[in-house]
Formats: sequence, C-alpha cells, structure tokens
Amino acid sequence: MLGSLFSQYARTLLVAAALLFIVLVEALGMREAVYPSLLPFFTWMRESSWLGVIGTTYGSIYATVEAVHLLSMAVLGGTVLATDLRLLGVIFKDVPSETLVTGTYKCFKIALLMAILTGIFCAAGVGDKVYYMQVFWVKMLALLAASCFMLFIKQPLLTSRPHIEINPWSIRLLAITSILIWFTVAAAGRWIGFS
Amino acid sequence: MINELLLQFAQWMEAQEYSQMLVAGYYSYSWLEATHVLTLMVSIGSLFIIDLRMLGLIMPDVSASTIAARLHKPMIIGFAIMFATGALLVYAKPVETIQSLWFRIKMFLLLLAFINALIFNARLKAADGSWDMDPVAPKAIRIGAMISLTLWCGVVTLGRYIPYDWVDCTNTNNTTILWAAGCVEQLNAL
Repeated sequence: MLGSLFSQYARTLLVAAALLFIVLVEALGMREAVYPSLLPFFTWMRESSWLGVIGTTYGSIYATVEAVHLLSMAVLGGTVLATDLRLLGVIFKDVPSETLVTGTYKCFKIALLMAILTGIFCAAGVGDKVYYMQVFWVKMLALLAASCFMLFIKQPLLTSRPHIEINPWSIRLLAITSILIWFTVAAAGRWIGFS
Repeated sequence: MINELLLQFAQWMEAQEYSQMLVAGYYSYSWLEATHVLTLMVSIGSLFIIDLRMLGLIMPDVSASTIAARLHKPMIIGFAIMFATGALLVYAKPVETIQSLWFRIKMFLLLLAFINALIFNARLKAADGSWDMDPVAPKAIRIGAMISLTLWCGVVTLGRYIPYDWVDCTNTNNTTILWAAGCVEQLNAL
C-alpha cells in the first residue's frame, strides 16, 4: 500500500523533499556556514584552473564563449517559448501540443548543456568577482530550479499521458511557471553584466 | 569622405539632450541593453527553430511551412524590439559605436542576413510544397537555412565584441583597421 503510493507520487515526494531540504538549509543557518568556504574554490577557478587562465589571458576567446552562451540561451528560450505559448494556446494552435513538447525537447537539452558548459567558462574567468554578487547566486538557484522543474516535473507530466487527459489549468500553470522561471534565469544572467 | 560624414552625424547625435540622458540615467542604458539581449530568445530563438526544421534537425514530423508561418509573427515582434532597442543603444553612444570595427562588420552581416531572408522567403513561396512534410527541405532551402544560422551566429558574436576595446581607435596604429573603423582623427594624425 505504502509502496504503491510512493511509486505513484515519487516525483512529487522528491520535489517536496528538495524544498524541505532548502528550507532546512536556510533555517539552520547552513548557507551562511557553507558560503565562506566556497571562496577559495572561486579564487582557484579564476587564478589556477585552465578555464580561468584562458578566460583572463585571451579576451577574444572569452568574448566568443560569451557569444556562444548567449546563442545557447537564445535557442533554449526559443524552444521554451514555442512550447509554452503552444500550451497556453497562443501559437501553433493547429499542431498537437504533444508534438511540440517532444519535438523541441532534444534541442532544449543540447542548448541547456551548451549554456551550462559555456557559463562555467565565463564564471571561471571572473570567479572571485561573481562570488560576491548576489545576482549571480540568484541566477544559479533559478537555473537549478528551472532545470529541475523542466526535467523532473514539466516534461515527465506532459509526456505521461495525452494532454486532453490533463487538467487544462495544470497545463497553463506549468507553461506560465516555465516562462517566468526561465525569464528569471536570463534576466539575472544579464544583470550580472551590469553589477 | 563617408567616414567624415558618419562621424559628423554621430557627433550631432551625441550632442542631443536625449542621447546624453540615455547614458546619464542610472538604469536607462542597462534596461535598453537587457531588453536588446533578452529579446534574442524571441527573435533568434524562433528563427533558429525555423532554420533547424528546414535542416531536419527539429520536429521533422511537423510541416515546415506550418512552423515557418506560426513562428513568423513572434519572430518579427522580437526583431522589431531588437532593432528599436539597438537603434537607441547606438543613439546613446553614437561616436563610440560608429567608430567600432565590430559594429560595422555586424551591420554588414545584418545586411547580408536581410538579403538572405528575402531570397529564402522567395524560395519558400516559389516551392511547390511537395516537400513540406519531408523531414529535410530541398537543397536550396537548406543552404539558405545554413547561411542564415551562420550569419546570425556572426551577428550575435560581433555584438558581444563591441564592448571590448581591442581594436578601438586609440588602441591601434594599423591604417587599414583605422580606416575600416572610421577613426578619422587618428588617420589624420598619422
């Protein structure tokens, strides 16, 4: 009985456990305890890792990787918007939403991977600067939340059954949450450049 | 001659009150730049989906013309916002931008991308549609899509280069670069 309940709501329980973990980390002051210990890593990233050395020595390579990061985010945003606007019934009304959800997913995953890899390079080049930026940590948390939301909630739910069998408000809520959360990632990323 | 005229025009813009207000405002320039970059997701995101579909790399089971037609409107809205904010960014820092080699190459690539888009659309309209449901578009359309992807990657990369000062008028003595970037005063001083 308990086993079948767990398997049926495994993902929901996993997300609830993750949220509880975040609340506990904050409530028990673990974040404040961990934060200072991350500084040596960020300093090492900039000064000693080969990513940081390349990034700080060759400005043209750094700028080109920044451009690839932007392009990856553009493709990622394009696939997210196309899918979510279809789920909201704004565009692609004559194409089944299931087709768009599955058809853009591979492209989304490649763009996300590229954005993360190029993002690591960019962060390494300014490691000890971004460490002190609040907006950088906002972006990291938003990115983590957005990736988990996409990989463990939105995509599994939308591919589990025909969309006609899912409550329309659940679908709309998924689409709006997805747009807002990815917009937060992109906007926070842009704001790093101004900080 | 053209460089002198462009510089005079840029200096005239820089003397405008609104141009100075855009740079002096604490957030105005940042907001403009953020909007310009974030709209990439709508404009280039949509464009890349269309191009990737023509190459058969995304949603091969949806008709190519449907994808192109449905994404056309958001793409145009995205590009309109990008061009408007881009024009305001130039207006805010006209002399610096007009004398940037990267900006000039970017404008040239934008022109090529525009011509390619016209040819691409003409070919799409001229096609009989028999390939519409094929996973991969005909060769001529695929070449257009490849050129489009390459040009827009170039546009974004050069846009990213503009804030860097590697080949600014004050950082180089190479006469070809100085001429190409329109560094009139530096060329006259040589």
